[in-house]
Amino acid sequence: MIARGKLIRSLLLWLLLSPVIVAILFPFAVMTITALKSAAEVHDPTWWPHEWRWVNFIEMWDSSGFGPAAANSLYVSGMTTLVTLVVSIPAAYALSRFQFAGRGAFRQFLLVSQMLSPIVLVIGLFRLIASVGLIDNLNVLMLVYVAFNIAFCVWMLQSYFSTIPRDLEEAAWMEGAGRGRTLLSVFLPLAAPAMVVTAIFTFINAWNEFVIALTMLRREENYTLPIRVFSLVAGRYTVEWHYVMAAAFVASVPVAIVFAWLQRYLVRGLALGAVK
Amino acid sequence: MNRTFTPYFLILPSFLLAAAVILWPLGEIASLATHDVNRFGILKEFTGLDSFRTLFADPDFFSALWRTLLWTVAVVLGTLSISVPIALILNEDFYGKGLARILIMLPWAVSLTMTAIIWRWALNGESGMLNSALRGLGLLDQNVQWLAQAATAFPVQILIGILVSIPFTVTIFLGGLSSVPEDLYEAAATEGAGSWDCFTRITLPLMRPFLNIAFVLNTIYVFNSFPIIWATTQGGPANSTDILVTYLYRLAFRIGRLGEAAAVSLIMFAILLAFTILYVQLAMREEKA
Repeated sequence: MIARGKLIRSLLLWLLLSPVIVAILFPFAVMTITALKSAAEVHDPTWWPHEWRWVNFIEMWDSSGFGPAAANSLYVSGMTTLVTLVVSIPAAYALSRFQFAGRGAFRQFLLVSQMLSPIVLVIGLFRLIASVGLIDNLNVLMLVYVAFNIAFCVWMLQSYFSTIPRDLEEAAWMEGAGRGRTLLSVFLPLAAPAMVVTAIFTFINAWNEFVIALTMLRREENYTLPIRVFSLVAGRYTVEWHYVMAAAFVASVPVAIVFAWLQRYLVRGLALGAVK
Repeated sequence: MNRTFTPYFLILPSFLLAAAVILWPLGEIASLATHDVNRFGILKEFTGLDSFRTLFADPDFFSALWRTLLWTVAVVLGTLSISVPIALILNEDFYGKGLARILIMLPWAVSLTMTAIIWRWALNGESGMLNSALRGLGLLDQNVQWLAQAATAFPVQILIGILVSIPFTVTIFLGGLSSVPEDLYEAAATEGAGSWDCFTRITLPLMRPFLNIAFVLNTIYVFNSFPIIWATTQGGPANSTDILVTYLYRLAFRIGRLGEAAAVSLIMFAILLAFTILYVQLAMREEKA
């Protein structure tokens, strides 16, 4: 009987969720179906193509420069994540374990920098980077991404660090481990969940970033994925939508799968970090 | 190493990097907005507030400003009011809950640019699958040119904006709900409280800080959101879906009126600053009360 009650409740809750879920899945369906249509059929809004053209993916890969763009995106996002963590962890550690003059001011500074989005600053950034001749440079793009992710990461990490009891570190000092040693072998392993969450966040932010890449990257061989796919659509007379959708599919689905796998850590991590 | 310098040493790299990439461009923008600049970005004589004057004489600026307000309020309120029930449902125990969570979170993993491009195709007048789906369901008699007219383009963009903001908001709310102790509900139930009472007296008050966070972060993100409108209509047709960010981007990188674009940046910065200060004041007053 109890199981039956749960079954009915489950059906009811799924029914309540269904409008939103349909709206979420609709673009995925459109993307997948269009990606598999033939060039002749792509302009018919049919839901079931006459022929499933898997070869679209191979043709798209060859014709659209997808591979290099994916490599650029992986490089920029990976490096952004790494560098952001390397500069944010010490700052978060300082905020949670030291009292020092300027601590409040630094937190305020982080809040303001969180508030300023890339788009508000894009003209200034462009001038700044153009004046030193570093437009079209992936490493510079990466550093800009790092700067915009620092505030959030330091914020998340320091509120998590504050929940780690000091006793554990003090116990390690008592046994003669130095501060650095304690940090590496006691503190950081305990902080791993928060670091995973901030790493996922940073990676996805960098992977999906649009406006700075659109402004800073000029030559096609430097394009990241969002710019590559956008360039297949923007300012063209004939858009080959089946290739565009195939590219969007390959750019989104792997990330979505990894994300689906990791999303429960996100909920847990945000619960600890968001309100502080 | 001297103990007093350790914390400064630890925050230095993050501070320098963030300051260089955030404060320095802000200075650049301020000098662009107050000088005569040609379209290649060469600064000429100081002109004070002339760029602002030109901007304020442009009716397109005011319609973009007004539309930005509409866009932000509609997307943020829409997102919050849809996300609360979703989070409450996902916090229940039911079959397929894990799958439901993944599906709701899905738009978060896809870049806004891709989402916007897919919607642009789905909304296409002749070949778009939204028209064919709605016609198949008998909801439409003839194709609608969704993105070719302001009357449908902007509402559709707002709906896309809501859809992509839901995952982040629901995640924050789920974090909040998991911090509400179970025994509070049990105690309330033994006192004879109904589920609506539990919701308004226990859940909502305890969720307050999470609602606040979601409200502020969403407002900042949506106010600054660029890809949805840029990749679907680029602010068109005839500037009818322009918000400040797309207006700013076109001024700077299409038309080359850098001084006025910089002025728009400064105005946006002032609006965000005013919003944040107002919010911090209100939040502090609430804490004291």
